[in-house]
Amino acid sequence: MASRPTVTILGADGKATGATEVLPKVFGAPIRPDIVKHVHTGMAKNKRQPYSVSEKAGHQTSAESWGTGRAVARIPRVSGGGTHRAGQAAFGNMCRSGRMFAPTKIWRKWHVKINQGQKRFATASALAASSVAPLLMARGHQVSTVPEVPLVIDSAAFESAALAKTSAALSLLEAVGAGADVAKVKDSKKLRAGKGKLRGRRHRQRRGPLVVYNPEVDGSELVKGFRNIPGVETCPVDALNLLQLAPGGHLGRFVIWTSSAIKELDSVYESKKGFSIPANVVSQSDLTRLINSSEIQSVLNGPKGEAKTKRGNVQKKNPLRNKQIMLRQNPYASTYAKENLGSVKEDKTGKGVPAAFKVLLNEV
Amino acid sequence: MSFSNVSADLIWEVTRSQNSFLVKRKSGPQVQFSRDPYNLLNVHSRKHAGFVNEKAVGIAPNEKGGVQVITKKAGFANKPAAGRISVTYGGNKSARKTYKGVANQTAKSGYRADLRQAAVARASAIRKSQKANTKPDYEHKLRGNAAKKAAEAKN
Repeated sequence: MASRPTVTILGADGKATGATEVLPKVFGAPIRPDIVKHVHTGMAKNKRQPYSVSEKAGHQTSAESWGTGRAVARIPRVSGGGTHRAGQAAFGNMCRSGRMFAPTKIWRKWHVKINQGQKRFATASALAASSVAPLLMARGHQVSTVPEVPLVIDSAAFESAALAKTSAALSLLEAVGAGADVAKVKDSKKLRAGKGKLRGRRHRQRRGPLVVYNPEVDGSELVKGFRNIPGVETCPVDALNLLQLAPGGHLGRFVIWTSSAIKELDSVYESKKGFSIPANVVSQSDLTRLINSSEIQSVLNGPKGEAKTKRGNVQKKNPLRNKQIMLRQNPYASTYAKENLGSVKEDKTGKGVPAAFKVLLNEV
Repeated sequence: MSFSNVSADLIWEVTRSQNSFLVKRKSGPQVQFSRDPYNLLNVHSRKHAGFVNEKAVGIAPNEKGGVQVITKKAGFANKPAAGRISVTYGGNKSARKTYKGVANQTAKSGYRADLRQAAVARASAIRKSQKANTKPDYEHKLRGNAAKKAAEAKN
């Protein structure tokens, strides 16, 4: 690539500082929703905790089948008497207080191994997608007020723990036009449907911007500033995570970079041994430009046939009444009329056709 | 679009199956609609998906009457705030002038001639919806107890 695109760096007030940064190479990685989806599905499973029903559930009774001959089903039945439970069917998955069908086991295969190359490919792809404004909008981020995507803020704004306070962090987000996205998250908080409410997942809400910083330059105080703003997440540049870059497996997370983080990104990728940023199979993805390129157009055949007006659903005209239609369908009609051949008497003598007609047919 | 790995065609292929503007309903006919502000027909299609295309037109009612037309500046795909142009045609402007303005803005100088008809139609529909209801309210015929009371009051 001859000249790589640049991105402007915004100051703490949300205005451009005038400085620009060359976009890291990762942003040119191919955008592959299929790979991202697949890797995300696997990675999302790796934080699960094993669960199962009790090993003993449904089996804590001494039930035995009554056998045949007592006009009841042969299912095991609770022994004894003196209580309602006696004589009730037990054990089966169809029984009340029986064991469930295929009781869940803690040794289910909870985790999925994903190849490192695939993970890195997916992360690179998700990063590239995070620099495409339409994809951010398609994910639902409110970025219409954002001056530029990717959004880069000068690291000077983070210096000396300037953003250790939530109010400072929030006002920075508002200054750079990310306030709408944060507000959207705040309004989106809903009570979760189902049992998850009882299991520490009481509410659900959208995800807001992801702030990527360089811990060596920006420090990590900003984490404290941002952590109580709903939906906003922070991530050090050397530990980018696909689960944050493409939540739900959908590309286009709104990422806010510090200038030192985006500067660092190239070296982060260079330090990954045995990995190079994936190349695009098709270097020009704009189909219209591809089709209209001189290379393609020069080898295409010209259009065949003649220019014809396509007549869609038009009223059928009667050629016997409408002269223009007659002329279109029968090119001979004009000569026929001009020569007045319609009124030439038929030669009943049998001497042949009129001389004028013979001339016309080039038979003379 | 910064790198050449991205194009409107690619974005459409990535987002056509799921995006935040897409509206599907399980009941009724399987029509796909779009909530995109840059969509003139509110249908989910490549032609009308304004967030995908470099050039797109959106028309919305203006708060004080009339219509507001928003267009995208080509080449500003990655600068959402600067790439938005908004023009307002107030409610006091004649319909003809409004439509002419909308049509010119949409179709002239190689913008989106294919959207001209849809743009004018939407502007027209919005204007129509802003008209005050001039029909007089018809008289409600009272029934039941209310009718009895009214009859007694008359006597």
